[in-house]
Amino acid sequence: MILSAEAQKAIDTYLTDLRGQLRPLSPEDANDIVEEIHAHILDKSAGVTDEGVVSATLAALGTPDELAARYRIDELLKRAQSTRSPVVSLFSLARWATLSLIGLVTFIISSVGYALGAVLVVIGLFKLIYPRNGGVWFDPKPGGHGIDGTAGFSFVGGGTWTHPGQEVFGLWLAPSCIALGAMLVFLTFSLGTWCIRRFWRPSALREV
Amino acid sequence: MKRASIPTVESSEKWEVQLRKGSLELAILAALWDGRLYGLEILRELENKSDLIVVEGTVYPLLNRLRALSLVESEWVESDSGHPRKYYRLTPAGRQRALEMTRIWARFSARMNNLLAHLNEEARPVPKGRKDTA
Repeated sequence: MILSAEAQKAIDTYLTDLRGQLRPLSPEDANDIVEEIHAHILDKSAGVTDEGVVSATLAALGTPDELAARYRIDELLKRAQSTRSPVVSLFSLARWATLSLIGLVTFIISSVGYALGAVLVVIGLFKLIYPRNGGVWFDPKPGGHGIDGTAGFSFVGGGTWTHPGQEVFGLWLAPSCIALGAMLVFLTFSLGTWCIRRFWRPSALREV
Repeated sequence: MKRASIPTVESSEKWEVQLRKGSLELAILAALWDGRLYGLEILRELENKSDLIVVEGTVYPLLNRLRALSLVESEWVESDSGHPRKYYRLTPAGRQRALEMTRIWARFSARMNNLLAHLNEEARPVPKGRKDTA
């Protein structure tokens, strides 16, 4: 098969762009994909020298960016199913959120879960470092018996200031918050992974 | 009073797209049932034997995904055309999956056909030149 110089140039440009867009994948995987697409183009163009046939073949594959995106998102979500990193999981969910409603809902719930978990852990650590400056306080009003008092959580950085009210949890706040926060992060991570396994359809299935 | 919305042609088309999406995985596994095929052969098999018109740029990522799920395996084979081709074949897990999906499909379609039996007459296209008197 002899392709015209123009057709060969179009193929080379397409494959170079595709390889560049597949950078997040391992070089072996990227190379395998590029070679397969190259073989597909050559098979479709077999016996013709017409540049129009090559152009139509490339158009049917989509742009290098579109084609690579299908591999990238599949790869990303595949990695998210096996990762133990909440960061990788959340990053994958963010990409999924751009593709489907269920992905968006999962991403929002996960973001809230991770944020709450992180806040709880930070509170726990703060309490450990500054035991007198932070805590949950109950502040009875003057003359009251505590029933109509105010309760709240407050932190005051540095100094020797202590809250005038009565601290509710004491130092137990630190391990409780850290444990709750860690549990929340774990549950959020598990939920995200479960949703990906349960609801994610490979990109090709979405675009038939 | 709020009127119930009437299904449009557009919504029927959307439903059909969903139906095709749901059957693509089974169609690919079925295409590979008799032996190994490379990407373009799979596309042609789907075109010739089913009503599925698969966009070329979508079948390769899907095959990659099926390989990641260990439902198919691939190998590069030298060909007479002058360049190697990547062939896919079903793994034992892929054959098992294809059989399970076929059972589900058969059961589902049989029940749906049963349900739709009395609609078939109504849904049959009216021959040209004949006035529908209903």
